[in-house]
Amino acid sequence: MSVAEASPALAVEALVAGYEPDLPIVKGIDASIGQGDFVAILGPNGAGKSTFVKAIAGLVPIHAGAVTLAGRPITGLAAHLLVRAGLAFVPQTENIFASLTIDENLKLCAGVMPAGKRSERIAAMYDLFPDLAARPTTPAGALSGGQRQMLATARALLVEPTVIILDEPSAGLSPKLVGEVFETLARVNALGVTIVLVEQNVRAALGVARTAMVLADGRIVHRGPAKGLAEDPRLGEMFLGHHAAAGETA
Amino acid sequence: MIDLVGYGAFFLTIALSYAIIAVGLNVQWGQTGLFNVGVAGFVAVGAYVSAILTTPDAAGRLGGFGLPIVVGWIAAGIAGAILSYGLGWLTIRLRSDYLAITTFGFAVTVQLAALNLEWITGGPFGMGFIPRPFAVSADDPFRFGLLNLGLTAAVLLAAYLVVEHLSASPWGRVLRAIREDETAAVSLGKNASGFRLQAFAVGGALMALGGAVQAHFIGFIAPENYLPLMTFQVWAMLIVGGSGNHRGAIVGAVLVWAIWAASASVIGTVLPAGEQARGASLQIVLIGVALCAILLLRPKGILGEKRVVSRYLGKSAAEPARQREGTLAP
Amino acid sequence: MNAQFIVDGLIAGSMIGLGAIGVTLTYAILRFANFAHGEFIAWGAYLALAVVAAVPFGMVPIGPFSFGWMLPIAAIAAALLTGGLAILIDWLLFASFRRRGSATIIMVIASFGASLALRSLLEFVFTSKPVYFTRELQIAMPLGGGLRATPDQLLMLGVTAILVIAVHLLLTRTAIGRQMRAVSENPVLARLAGVDVRRVIRTVWCLGGALAAGAGVMAGLLVQIRPYMGFDLLLPLFAAAILGGIGSVPGAILGGLLVGLCEALAVQTVGAEWRAAVGFVILTLVLLLRPQGILGKAAT
Repeated sequence: MSVAEASPALAVEALVAGYEPDLPIVKGIDASIGQGDFVAILGPNGAGKSTFVKAIAGLVPIHAGAVTLAGRPITGLAAHLLVRAGLAFVPQTENIFASLTIDENLKLCAGVMPAGKRSERIAAMYDLFPDLAARPTTPAGALSGGQRQMLATARALLVEPTVIILDEPSAGLSPKLVGEVFETLARVNALGVTIVLVEQNVRAALGVARTAMVLADGRIVHRGPAKGLAEDPRLGEMFLGHHAAAGETA
Repeated sequence: MIDLVGYGAFFLTIALSYAIIAVGLNVQWGQTGLFNVGVAGFVAVGAYVSAILTTPDAAGRLGGFGLPIVVGWIAAGIAGAILSYGLGWLTIRLRSDYLAITTFGFAVTVQLAALNLEWITGGPFGMGFIPRPFAVSADDPFRFGLLNLGLTAAVLLAAYLVVEHLSASPWGRVLRAIREDETAAVSLGKNASGFRLQAFAVGGALMALGGAVQAHFIGFIAPENYLPLMTFQVWAMLIVGGSGNHRGAIVGAVLVWAIWAASASVIGTVLPAGEQARGASLQIVLIGVALCAILLLRPKGILGEKRVVSRYLGKSAAEPARQREGTLAP
Repeated sequence: MNAQFIVDGLIAGSMIGLGAIGVTLTYAILRFANFAHGEFIAWGAYLALAVVAAVPFGMVPIGPFSFGWMLPIAAIAAALLTGGLAILIDWLLFASFRRRGSATIIMVIASFGASLALRSLLEFVFTSKPVYFTRELQIAMPLGGGLRATPDQLLMLGVTAILVIAVHLLLTRTAIGRQMRAVSENPVLARLAGVDVRRVIRTVWCLGGALAAGAGVMAGLLVQIRPYMGFDLLLPLFAAAILGGIGSVPGAILGGLLVGLCEALAVQTVGAEWRAAVGFVILTLVLLLRPQGILGKAAT
């Protein structure tokens, strides 16, 4: 293992964040995510999962703490620079440009790549998602929910990111499509890309993820392997807010 | 000394008539966030309606009704209310800046009508012989000035008491709630459009009333009195005073009118006759810059507003969630 | 009825359309109605005039036209300077309101104040006396069907067509065009996709200002230059942008041509003194009958 690979893909130290300066929603999170890991961030409604990842992605103000991406400090970097640094974020809703065609969506995102690599990366995305390659000039607004999620993932993956963060990709999809989306994410992860997933759909998320983090009230209450957690009786307690019952803490 | 008091009374009467207009604008903007860029149009409508109803017969134009002044004022208010209700009805369900554009167009059109409908308005020469209150005392300028000042102040006080009463009533609370967070107010079962339309009509009525009071005090009106510059002056008054606060609107009116009159007289004395027009433009530049500076540096105005609704609400929430409209299409 | 109104209307409509593209672009990206946009038209005309007046040569008429080669150079310089002016005003004024998340309407008021200041500044420097690029007289050529137009007028129609096609290609075929459309639809997602939103905003101001300057130079060449020239076009600009469907560039130019034609028709049938009311009538009808405009999509 080289030195660069030795540093975690994404590391967060004592992160405090929220929309209003005096109302932190993320209340001090420390986390380290290894290269190539597949992390599911779980937790009850209002735990701060979404705010946590949005703060990392530069969409919610960070009040205190530090974020590093593959050893490089990225705290407070503007969202459009974070993509260039290697952090791709896929929002929960409205994660594609409906008024642009599929091809335009990909070309837009390819803008952050060096000029010589753009068409090569777009072609690679079409190889990975043949469904999209079949209709490049279709306006993205005309796509089905599953295809939209595919395009959103392709958009993020196109820039060869170190880490992809997805905010509830399964929201609003049918169970069959949820399966497809998660299968796609597993394929992407198999390519060596670190994936961080915020999910309400606990069972489906634990089915694909390697590591699980459980948040409650803006803090991490549990961290461990995803395998077996779904059957762990402590999981229900964490969701109900019995923090003390949490096991190994991050 | 008598001269000074006479001028003071004259100045204050004009300033207080502007204050009536500014309070009207405050009912619209300060209470509901409805943006009217056609203030001059409503003021002109009030002035012309009242003038037509009260003037003696004049050759070549409609009129000669010679009705009492108070009838003219009431009619002015009603005309202002009807027109603002109509314009509001047209745009209230659309984006907030459509109302701004429409009222702007309305003011342009009113000015054009005043200029071109000679058989009603007297055209570019305007209308004279508008009956002045207390005309019997006109021989004694001192007494005349003070009586008129008293009357204008009384009208303003009445307008102020009415709108203060309305603001404090459940009606006013609903209006503020709508302004702070329309979605929440609507979800509580309030018909937001209806309330805002009513407020817009009340504001329009006050502007027209202010216009009528002004017209009768001066005794003469012409289309060039109602340029977009007037709209801008009234906005400056409201912003200086701090929107949402009727007392602020009144203080702002007196303050801005004082600055306006003082700077005009400085230009009048300092600049040679040939450069007066230039000086007047510079005056507008400075006031325009000052308005922007106040918006940037002291957005709540000099007096500010008493916050009634939680400070965590509002901010940009006043804009309804219709953001998708108007996406760029090549 | 005399068909000449078609030529007059298309020419006035070209200027309105070029201005309306700027209004619609600013609206699509920044989401507010900019009342100062008309001033860019007047500033563009005066800036070009300043260049023409400062250079003592280059205004000997070329061929059938009334101006020399210095005018196109002055027009390009004015377009760049007006674009710069628009960026400057955004930096001084609107950027701060965006940063603190002010309500749209605060921006509209500020643009109203900026409009007055900009216009009066022109009046202060150049006085309100009308001025002209050239004193050359032009004879209108018969076009057939009883229509007549001067060579200058025909050239300006051609220039408008070229500018509109250029803007269309910019928006559909270039990276910055895609970025502008992306920011218009969803600024947050655009940032996540790596788009530098501030750069897009600067581009939009520059483009809107430059097109307005183009309209101003045309108006100066075909009509006259006065401080109020842009302000008087403001209502037609808004009417055109809303008629065409706010956010739609083809809609803006189509709306501009329609407003121009209606104005010319009104001049012929009702009288020139009512021309300025046409914009208001069209605006009222559109808001009443089809608020989303001809090419606009209804709110979802």
